[in-house]
Amino acid sequence: MVDQAHKPEETALPNNLQQHHKQDEERQQQQQSVLENAEYEDEELHKLLVPDVTQLPLTPSSAVESNFASYFAPDFMKPGNDQYVYRHPNGLCVVGLASTHSAFKDKGEVSAVDFNVGKSDRSGMKVTGKRKKNAQHFESNTALCKVCTSDDSYIIRSCVKGSLLEVNERLIKQPDLLNSSADREGYIAIIMSKPADWLKVKSSLLSLEELKKLREAGSILPSHNSS
Amino acid sequence: MSNEVESAQVSDATEVTLLSSSAEIESHAGSCDEEMTLQLLKDAVQSLPHHVVKDLLSVGVCSRCVLRILGSEDRIYCHPLLPQSILRSILEEVAGFKSEGNFQLCSVCLGILQLSYCDDKETMVKMESPNDMASTIAELVKTEGHQIDGFSLEVSVPQLILENESSLLSGMKKINESELWFQERMLSKCVSVKDVLKFAITKPLETLLDVKSTSAGCFRIRLTYTHKRASDNSVERNQGFKRRRISTGNGLHNVYDKAVITSKVCSDYSTNETISVTGRSSNILQDQETFEHLRIPIDKVSEPCHLVYLCYRTHIYLCGRYLKYSRNVSQTRWIIDEERMGEASVEEIIGSNILPMCRGDNYKFHAAGREDIDVRMLGSGRPFLLEIQNSCQIPSEETIKEIESKINGLENKLVGVKKLKVVSSQGWTLMREGEAEKQKQYCALVWISRPLEDEDVQSISLLNDMQILQKTPIRVLHRRSPLERQKIIHWMKIERISGSPQYFLLHLCTQAGTYIKEFVHGDLGRTQPSIGSILGCRAEIMQLDVTDVKMDSF
Repeated sequence: MVDQAHKPEETALPNNLQQHHKQDEERQQQQQSVLENAEYEDEELHKLLVPDVTQLPLTPSSAVESNFASYFAPDFMKPGNDQYVYRHPNGLCVVGLASTHSAFKDKGEVSAVDFNVGKSDRSGMKVTGKRKKNAQHFESNTALCKVCTSDDSYIIRSCVKGSLLEVNERLIKQPDLLNSSADREGYIAIIMSKPADWLKVKSSLLSLEELKKLREAGSILPSHNSS
Repeated sequence: MSNEVESAQVSDATEVTLLSSSAEIESHAGSCDEEMTLQLLKDAVQSLPHHVVKDLLSVGVCSRCVLRILGSEDRIYCHPLLPQSILRSILEEVAGFKSEGNFQLCSVCLGILQLSYCDDKETMVKMESPNDMASTIAELVKTEGHQIDGFSLEVSVPQLILENESSLLSGMKKINESELWFQERMLSKCVSVKDVLKFAITKPLETLLDVKSTSAGCFRIRLTYTHKRASDNSVERNQGFKRRRISTGNGLHNVYDKAVITSKVCSDYSTNETISVTGRSSNILQDQETFEHLRIPIDKVSEPCHLVYLCYRTHIYLCGRYLKYSRNVSQTRWIIDEERMGEASVEEIIGSNILPMCRGDNYKFHAAGREDIDVRMLGSGRPFLLEIQNSCQIPSEETIKEIESKINGLENKLVGVKKLKVVSSQGWTLMREGEAEKQKQYCALVWISRPLEDEDVQSISLLNDMQILQKTPIRVLHRRSPLERQKIIHWMKIERISGSPQYFLLHLCTQAGTYIKEFVHGDLGRTQPSIGSILGCRAEIMQLDVTDVKMDSF
C-alpha cells in the first residue's frame, strides 16, 4: 500500500537509482525465465521417463532369462547330477546346480562347498587381464567343487570344455546360497568356451522343459537318501 | 616465433611498402626506399670475403646460397621484392666475377632459392622475386575457395640439398678453417634453404591473403620440392654398400667408389647420411695435395626441382551435447559380420549432417563416455567432439544453428544435438579432463518381486555416497579384465508409479564407470550391494535412461 506521503518521494527518485531498479527487475525476470525453462525441460524430461503402466508385464523375465540361453545336463557323469549351463552370447557359460539335483532331495540342506578338488584349489587361482592369463583349461569332466549336505557329498564338474574364469567363492562362506538361489546367486563357476567346443556339448544338453519332462516322467531317479 | 621476428627486422630495415611490385622497383629506380634496400644489400655483400664469394659463384652456387652460407646476418637477401637479377649483379660486381651468361641452376639448392622450379605441367618456371612466387600461391588459395583466418607455411626440400650443402661446407672448412672470416661467420649453423624461402615469401603472403602467418594455424600451405636425380640415385647409392647409404653428384661417383675401397671408415661417423658423405669428401680432399682453390666436387645441375603446392586444413573440431531418444540406436557405428547392430548410430547421424557443411574429407566422433544401445540419453545430453579432417571451411554461427535445427528436426527423431559450436583443439583436452571423475545421473525402471513399501522408499533415499563393489559384469567379462571395481552411488530416490505396486522409477546419481544394470539386478551376486540385496528381494531392471552427464566445460 503506497502512502500518500511517500508518493512524491517515489517520483523524485534520482536517475541512477531508477536504472538500478530496472536492472534488478530485468535480472529477476531473466532468472525467472531460466527457472521456468529449466522447470519446463524437467517436465518434458519427466514425461519421457514415466512408463505406460498398461504395457508393463506383471512378472517380467529375469536378467538371466533375458540375457542368457539356459541349458541343462541331466545326470551329468552320475545319476542325479543335474546341472545347468547358462550361455551368454559373448561365449561365457555360467554353470551351477539345477533345481532337480540330488543334493536338494537330501533330508539335510547343503552345508558346505569346497573348491579344493582335483589337483588344485579352484578358489585360489587368479585370472588377469583381457586375455585371461592363468585361466585353467577344463575338460567337461574336470571337477569344479564338492558340495556337501549333512547326508552326502557331490562332485560338481565343469560340463563345458573351456577356460575357468571364476568360481563363486561366496559359496565358501555362504553355502546356504545353494539352498536359497542355486539358479542365481548360488552359481558355481564361469567358464569361457570356444564356439567349436560349445557346439559339441550343446547337442547333449536339454532345455528346461525337456528336463522337467524327463524328471517328471521317469521318476526312477536314484537318490542318495537313506530313507 | 623466429620467422616473424626476422621478417619484422627485414621490414624495419627497409621501410619499403610491401604492396609495391618488383616491376615498380625497377621503374622507380631512383626512389628513396629502394635506394636504401640496395645500399644495405651492397653493404652486406661488401663485408663478405670477396675471394670466397668469387669461388662459390664460380662453382655454380646461387646468390642467396652464397649469402646464407657465408652467414650474412641481415637477411636482406630475403627481401620479398628484391629481384633475382639485381641481387646477382650486385654480388658479381663486388666479387669481381663474370658469369658465363646462361642461367645456371644452383649446385647447392638446385634452383629453389633462385625461385626456379618445374611445375606440374612440366614447365620450367622462373620467378623474379619472392613476391611473385607469393602471388602464385595466393592465387591458388583463392581458386580453391578456401576461407581462412590464418595460415602456416611448410616447405619440404630434397635430401640431396642437405648433402650438397654438407659436402660444400666441409670442403670449405678443410681449407679455410684457420681464417678469421671463417671463424667469424661459419662456426654457427647456416640458415637452411627452407628457412630462407619461408622468410622470403611469408610476409608477402600475409599481405596478399590478408591474414597472419601463425604456427598454430590450422590452414596449411605446403610446398614440396622433389628432384629427379635425388630419387634416381638412391638405387645406385645403395648398391655395393651394405649398411651405409652414400649420395653423390653424378660426376663424383667413381671417386667415391675408390674412396670407399682405399680409405678407412672412420669410427666417429654418425649414422646420418649427410655426415657420412662429409667424412668421405674430407678424405678425398686430404688426398689431393695440390689443392689451392676451393674446388667443390659437386656436379652442375641440369634439371630444376619439381614443385607441388598443396593447401590443406588440419582438423577442425565441433563440440556439443547429443541426446539419444531411441533404444535401438548405438553410439558409434556397430557392425558384426557385415550386419549392422541397431537401426542407426549417433556418430553417423551427427557426422553425416555436419561433414558437408564443412566441406571436409571425413570425420571422427569422440564422446565423453557411452551408453548401451538400449539406453536412452536424455536431459542435458552427453558431451561429444567431432573432428572434421581437411575441411575447406570453418562453419559460421548461422551454419551451426542450421545444422542444429536440421539434426533436431529429422523425421525419425532418433538423435538430438545441443550447444553445438566450433572449438580449438583444446576441446579435446577439455573433454578428457576429469572424465573419470564426472558424475552421471540415471533413471531406471525397476521391478521387484514383492510390493514396494514406504519403508523402502525411505531407506533408499537415506543412502548417500554408498560404496559398492562390482566384479566385472558377465556381459562384458569376455573383453574386459576380471577386476573388482569400487564405485560410489552418490544418492538415490524412488519415485512410485501409480497403478503399479511392484514397478518404480529409481533416480540415482553415481560415479563415472558404474554399471547401473548390474547394480539393480545384482549380476548373480557379483555386485554388492545391489538394489535387490538392499531391499531383500529380487530386483530386475526393465529400462534405463541417462538423465544427466555433469560436465561444466561443455
